[in-house]
Amino acid sequence: MIGPRALVRAWRARVAVAGRSMEPAIADGDWLLVDPDAWRVRPPAPGALVLLADPRAPHRLLVKRVHTVFPDGSLDVRGDAPDRSTDSRHFGPVAAADLLGRPWLRVHPLRRAGRVR
Amino acid sequence: MDLLRALAPRRTAHAHCDIPCGIYDPAQARIEAESCYRMIEKYHASSDEVFRARCISVKEERAELVKHHLDVLWHDYFKPEHLAQFPDLHETCWKAAKQASVVKRTVDLEEAKKLLALIDQVDTMWKGTNGPAATRLPA
Repeated sequence: MIGPRALVRAWRARVAVAGRSMEPAIADGDWLLVDPDAWRVRPPAPGALVLLADPRAPHRLLVKRVHTVFPDGSLDVRGDAPDRSTDSRHFGPVAAADLLGRPWLRVHPLRRAGRVR
Repeated sequence: MDLLRALAPRRTAHAHCDIPCGIYDPAQARIEAESCYRMIEKYHASSDEVFRARCISVKEERAELVKHHLDVLWHDYFKPEHLAQFPDLHETCWKAAKQASVVKRTVDLEEAKKLLALIDQVDTMWKGTNGPAATRLPA
C-alpha cells in the first residue's frame, strides 16, 4: 500500500485530462493522481502510462502509453486512440529522463474512481 | 460547485491532438501566394487609389495565410525521419515563411515570384516524402 507521504505527493502532482486520445482507459475530464518519481529509477515497460511534456510545446503536458522501448532507452509513446492522438508517430521518440511521472489513480469523476492501467 | 473547484488540479495533461485530420498539401499555401502575385500585378495595373488600397489590404491577409499553411506543414506534417531525406527541411520552411512576410511588406512582383519558388521547394519535399498518397484523399 502507498504511504501517506507518497499519497500527498501524488495528490499534489495530480492532473486534469483534456482530450480523448487515451480513451477508453482515460477520458476527457478525468483527474489523475501522478507518481512524479515513478520513472526516475527504472524506465517504464511497454504498456505503462506516462506523463511527459510535449516535445513540440514543452509547457503542455501529455498523457500517453509506452509503445516501444528502444535499445538506447528512448521510448515510442502512443495514445490508445490512434485517430485522436498526436504522439511519437509525429514527434519522434522521447527520452526516459524527460518523463514527468506515472498517472495511476483516477479520483474524479467519483463513479469511475480507481486505478488506471 | 466550490469544493470541486478547490480540489481541481492545477495542471492539465493533454490526451489529445490537433485533430490531426492528416490532410496536408502545400497547394493551400501556393494558392494564397498566387493570389498575392495577382494582386500585386493588378495593383500596378490600376490607377484607382481605392482599388490599390484594397489590393494591399487583402494581400496582407492572404500572405498571412501562406505563413499559416507553411507553419502547419512544418509543425504537423513533416516528421523527424524526413530530415534524413531533406537535411535542409527546416531552413526551406523558414525561408518560405520569411518570404511570405516580405510579400506582405512589398508590392514588388519579383518578391511574390520568389515566394512561389520557395513554396515549390516545400512541395518537392512533401511529394518526396509520400505526401500525396499519405495526406490527400483520392478523387
